[in-house]
Amino acid sequence: MIVKSPRLPQPRRLRFQSWDDRSGKRSFIRVLEPPKDRGSAFLKLQQNLWSYVPRVERTIRVPPSMMLQSWMGSDFTNDDLVRESSTLDDYEHRWLGVAPSHQGVRAFVIEHLPREGAPVVWGRIVVWVDAAKSAPLRQEFYDEAGEKLRVLTMGDFRDVGGRWYPHHWAMLPLDKAGHETAIDVNEIRFDEKFADEIFTQRNLTRKE
Amino acid sequence: MPLIVRLAWRNIGRNKRRTSLTVAAAVFAVVLVVHMIALTSGMHDRMIEDNVRMHAGHLQLTGAGYLEDRTLERFVRWTPALAATVDSEPGVAAAAPRVNGFALLSNGPASQGVALLGVDPAREGGVSTWPARIVQGEFLDGEAREILLGERLAEALGARIGGEVLVYTVAYTLENAYELFRVRGLIRAPDPRLERSLALISLADAQALFAYDGRVSEVAMLVRDPARLEATRAALAADVAVHSTEPLDVNPWQRVMPELAQLIRIDDVQNYSMLAILVVVVAFGILNTILMSVLERQRELGVMLALGFAPRAIFRLVYIESLLLSGIGLAFGLVLALPAAAVMERHPVPITGDIQKMTETFGVTPVITWELTAWNPAIATSLMIAIALLAALYPAAKAASARPVDALRSL
Repeated sequence: MIVKSPRLPQPRRLRFQSWDDRSGKRSFIRVLEPPKDRGSAFLKLQQNLWSYVPRVERTIRVPPSMMLQSWMGSDFTNDDLVRESSTLDDYEHRWLGVAPSHQGVRAFVIEHLPREGAPVVWGRIVVWVDAAKSAPLRQEFYDEAGEKLRVLTMGDFRDVGGRWYPHHWAMLPLDKAGHETAIDVNEIRFDEKFADEIFTQRNLTRKE
Repeated sequence: MPLIVRLAWRNIGRNKRRTSLTVAAAVFAVVLVVHMIALTSGMHDRMIEDNVRMHAGHLQLTGAGYLEDRTLERFVRWTPALAATVDSEPGVAAAAPRVNGFALLSNGPASQGVALLGVDPAREGGVSTWPARIVQGEFLDGEAREILLGERLAEALGARIGGEVLVYTVAYTLENAYELFRVRGLIRAPDPRLERSLALISLADAQALFAYDGRVSEVAMLVRDPARLEATRAALAADVAVHSTEPLDVNPWQRVMPELAQLIRIDDVQNYSMLAILVVVVAFGILNTILMSVLERQRELGVMLALGFAPRAIFRLVYIESLLLSGIGLAFGLVLALPAAAVMERHPVPITGDIQKMTETFGVTPVITWELTAWNPAIATSLMIAIALLAALYPAAKAASARPVDALRSL
């Protein structure tokens, strides 16, 4: 992950590994670099998020009110870690049409609107999906007042075992000039079998 | 004394009882106006001082645009040179630098997002009353990694004095920042919601945590003379501009707390509407008196006109009578009201009982105060002159327009 900001003389670089069990709605992230942040870990079970800080060896529960706060100083939020697997449950989906040539490819445009009472932070999300590759191209996030706050664009599509997966994710916040965060995926594997103990608080505190 | 003034003076002396009743009404109005204005301005001053001392200060030095966008990007470099400039500014009584940030506080399974305030323990008490609002434990004294929690926040976190809480945030350098802090004291805020989400640490710790390196978010200041706020603000803004590479703002409390400034303006409008109604009521009283005396003197005025008195002189005569009545009322009123108000100014009335507790919870000093300024008698005087001018208009016009023949025949 590369974080660019006018505050930083050079972009900040982080390397991390993540495990994502979509059907179980659980995921786990462990930060590997830089050395200062090595061992920081995040565990998500359903809607709950825990963060582990290695130097003082504490586990913190991240409350819902902090979901829109920055994750590791990036332009991704804590909510972005939690949101993905619950998109189908939390949002109504509406077909907006076909963009004949979105960045040169035919794309479906889909709108996500939050369901009544769903614990979500966005007012609306509009998604462009590559019609041929069934892969996401772009997501635009709107707040409840209908203002566009940030845009996520995907690129570097590679065929991973029959799936087209974007290996480059760039988040651009529209209200913070000069800020941008990109995640480059080095390696991704699908349909792996997980040990249950990956998604435990004990694993948060484990030193590799 | 010109003839016309002597005439007017004698005229108002003819019916002593009527005159003294009218003067009494004027005196009453003056006393009411003086005390009402003194109480209102005393109350407003109290509100402003209490709020200013609660946290904000009279003036705030911040990075340009900080009030609209309270982020770490907008800062003041709190260098020794800048501190010396602020401290040597003649209008500034005290200055306290602060770092304002957000953090997640965690204690065991409990966690809570808070406004994290970094304060200079040696300077903060000069500006705000935070050190006085400790309900348990002690205020910060510069010891590293100690934290004060709002009473309700401590309850929500299950934290106790002497215990450790984890402070977790994102630094200015966009790195994850976290540190364990020992709870040194519990603090009470006037607003329960604020108390649930407020924690104080030392300025040095805040600068280390946020990797803020000599920067601060704001410098809150008290001024020596609140009446000269704008002059002090302008002088300070000019002086600090020399010492800073970044553009800075110096904002008065009215911009920092616009809701307070608005509240006071609304209250002023209400009070001046009340005064306007009072003016109309008293004006009608005086109008009544003068009109009566003019009607009684129809025959006399007719004779004066017949003897060659100009209508304009009659008009003036009636006007001078009205001004004399109000003038006497004003003089007696001020003599009665001003010393009393001056005594009350020195002896504020304390509020006791349940109301005392209630006002203290809101951070308001439980006293009723009078405040006398030069404006006070000036406003009372101009109101009475306005009353005299208004009230005499119709009777004077009526007296001046009388035709001698009709006037002589009318009685």
